[in-house]
Amino acid sequence: MKTILVVDDDDAIRTLLKDELFDEGYQVLTATNAREALKMVEQEALDLVILDIRMPGMDGLEALPRILGLKEGLPVILNTAYTQYQESFMSWAADAYVVKSSDLTELKAKVKELISK
Amino acid sequence: MIDALKKLTTIIMAGGKGERLFPLTRDKAKPAITFGGLYKIIDFTLSNCLNSGIRRIYVLTQYGSFSLDQHLRAGWDIMHPDLGEFIYSMPPQQIMVSRWYRGTADSIYQNLTLLQSERPEQVLILSGDHVYKMNYREMLDFHLSRNADMTVAAVPVPRPEAGSFGVLKVDANGAVENFLEKPAEPPGMPGSPDYSLASMGVYIFRAKTLVEEVIKDAKKRASKHDFGADIIPQMVGRKKVFAFNFADPDGSPRYWRDIGLLDAYYRAHLDLLGRTPIFDLFDAEWPMRGRPQLDPPSRYISSPGQCLAVGDSLIASGCIIEGTVNQAVLSPGVRVGRDATVAGAILWHGVDIGAGAVVKKAIIEDGVKIPPNFHIGADLEQDAKRFHVTEDGIVVVPNNVILEE
Repeated sequence: MKTILVVDDDDAIRTLLKDELFDEGYQVLTATNAREALKMVEQEALDLVILDIRMPGMDGLEALPRILGLKEGLPVILNTAYTQYQESFMSWAADAYVVKSSDLTELKAKVKELISK
Repeated sequence: MIDALKKLTTIIMAGGKGERLFPLTRDKAKPAITFGGLYKIIDFTLSNCLNSGIRRIYVLTQYGSFSLDQHLRAGWDIMHPDLGEFIYSMPPQQIMVSRWYRGTADSIYQNLTLLQSERPEQVLILSGDHVYKMNYREMLDFHLSRNADMTVAAVPVPRPEAGSFGVLKVDANGAVENFLEKPAEPPGMPGSPDYSLASMGVYIFRAKTLVEEVIKDAKKRASKHDFGADIIPQMVGRKKVFAFNFADPDGSPRYWRDIGLLDAYYRAHLDLLGRTPIFDLFDAEWPMRGRPQLDPPSRYISSPGQCLAVGDSLIASGCIIEGTVNQAVLSPGVRVGRDATVAGAILWHGVDIGAGAVVKKAIIEDGVKIPPNFHIGADLEQDAKRFHVTEDGIVVVPNNVILEE
């Protein structure tokens, strides 16, 4: 079973993504902030990370290169309510940029595409 | 044009270990090595920047960074950050990733935050270990006029000698069709088949393309994360890559030397000498700036009836010369004792040649004391027992040895 780490400070989103992705057949771990996420990236065998950007403490764009530095080649999807970070060079290191929506079709499709690579 | 410079970020790569220049690099970065008596190698690139109107410069350091920091502080503290100009020395920040720079491309990847904060349109990437005079604005004009993703500066070299370079195969417009690292059969240039275009390790990138390419490269496990070895080959055929021909209007190559080897270092010094030097430091149009020195004028002392023979040399201030000096480059504060002979030698700061000593075809590091009547360069077999002797027969005397009569 493939394992996904969902990093988001919003409880509702973590729960939603955990349930929906579990139904798709993935094992889902969650982290509420970037520091916790970095520890899990180091310790757990992960196949993909879904990363929120606006989080207290370290934001997703700061965490992204650190994640890639810890686990080279680990696919990361930036999942944010905002479109403007797409312009930031820092977001370009992610494998995908998905704007948050109640419709999870795009996110699920990206997960499927990247995790089967 | 001034607007184009405002949208340009300039980065000098100065972190390489320079192992092929050992022992000169054992305690310092290659760009911080003394060159031409008064200068450090990086001064040529920095002077080119100043002469091109570029006054915002990041110097990426790593190996032996203290030597470079010292030099930049002592010699290049000339910018006014309040006017938006600067020379910043940047060792790996280890903020994005916890590692050293794995290669030139990785050093850009690790500084993406810097590019994000600057948001330039173009990025000029230079090397801190080249000796040349180049107006980067001409290259930027060319790059912008071609609407290129990347422009590589390239110098024509005779085809038989091109095999030791990264060689660009270009069409008549300068578009790069292929990039070959040290090819056995270097391709000729359109219009001058006896010459090949060698990459100078000087690049201008469209900033967005640079970011995309270094990110892509950072994710490749099999990469050396190097511009020459990985980024250019990755881009050729996919992106608009052009070669900027570093030649005079009549097509003859302009002067450019990569100081990668001790013999290249030595030979480039010979190019500074003579009535009309191949590389002229006396150039009011393109002044080279080094660290300001406050030494008194050099003193030449002859005994009654003796006529001092000093010829074909560059002698910095603060030297005391009582012997014969020929085909030599002397840094400040060198002493050449009575009846001593210096021929074909590069003497760094404060070298003291004792009376009657003979120093031929040698590179002597700063502060070395050559005892009276000591011989260097006369018997290479003997020299090789104590010192590094290059392929060309140049003796390198580092300053961590004590010589006795």
